Amino acid sequence: MSAIATAEHPEHLAHHFDTLEQQAAAAKLGMWLFLATEILMFSGLFLGYFIIRMFYPEMVLEAHEYLSKTAGGVNTVVLITSSFTMALAVRAAQVGDQKNLIRNLIFTIGFAGVFMVVKYFEYSAKFEHGMLPGKFYHAWDHGYYIEGLPHIFFGLYFCMTGLHGIHVLVGIGVLTWILLRAKKGEFGPSYYTPVENVGLYWHLVDLVWIFLFPLLYLVR
Amino acid sequence: MSEATAPKVFIAGKPVEGVHEVHEHVSPISSYVKVFGALLVLTALTYGVSYMDLGNASLPVAMIVAFAKASLVCMYFMHLKYDDRYNVFVFISTILFVAIFFTFTIFDLMQRDAVNPEQDTFFRANFGEAFGFQPPEPPEGAEAGGHGHE
Repeated sequence: MSAIATAEHPEHLAHHFDTLEQQAAAAKLGMWLFLATEILMFSGLFLGYFIIRMFYPEMVLEAHEYLSKTAGGVNTVVLITSSFTMALAVRAAQVGDQKNLIRNLIFTIGFAGVFMVVKYFEYSAKFEHGMLPGKFYHAWDHGYYIEGLPHIFFGLYFCMTGLHGIHVLVGIGVLTWILLRAKKGEFGPSYYTPVENVGLYWHLVDLVWIFLFPLLYLVR
Repeated sequence: MSEATAPKVFIAGKPVEGVHEVHEHVSPISSYVKVFGALLVLTALTYGVSYMDLGNASLPVAMIVAFAKASLVCMYFMHLKYDDRYNVFVFISTILFVAIFFTFTIFDLMQRDAVNPEQDTFFRANFGEAFGFQPPEPPEGAEAGGHGHE
């Protein structure tokens, strides 16, 4: 006979957990393990960048000048702002502020959309100028003669920002799902694990960009 | 139900009371605003520093600022500062394994020449010609790289 069985059973508590807090802690630990695999996946690409930079420093130096610092900078601010609104959304769920939860989720999705729009313009400029990965590289047809091995650099650029972009798109998807559930009033101070875990994912997408931006766009 | 018979509920190795509530730390909005402000300032800093010619210091400076930003996001936005220690452990061990991955791979690539002097030549010679990369010579007067168009 446990103390739990005599108490009223909370709505969101699965039968194999003793308490809501234990349930939330288990879900969050699982999310952190998933984030660990995400970090390890991106670390392979970052290592590729560092190896290429180590062997061919001049290549990275020449080619990175062709990336738009402004577009990258704007996207950094957009993503940091979206992380901020996401943190506020989780807080609103914690204190049961339904109005702010929905509003901040909408802001977060909006900023994610802005990020993808800027990315779209950046990518289309690269496509137009023939600055493409590997054998598709043909920038010389468009009057750009980049010294070194720009086809390798742009391969790296598209892999790193592309994988990150896919994560942003997935983020928009899961945030929309959370928004729809929040609108039904499913989240409150006793149950907000999905909001929190999606928030953790979204912050990770921001973390990856925090390293991508200086390495690809800024560093000489 | 007496005190003696009621089983205790443990979370992260600590007994908890009031088991039907979630007791996570709720940060005040002002702390989020401060972290957001700090992140914007640090972003402006990396952006500004990239226009200065720091030479070899450029990469370490950019990385230090990026790590500072990442720590702020992890500690405050992702709540690691107030979180269960298990989650911190998962995160720190991930970073540790990434460090091992980086160190050993780079160490191997740097030391390879000592064992096999041709390794380096092989690596470089094939890298450029992969994918049939044969750039034409720039015509007279054409802009030859190094100047961003944006």
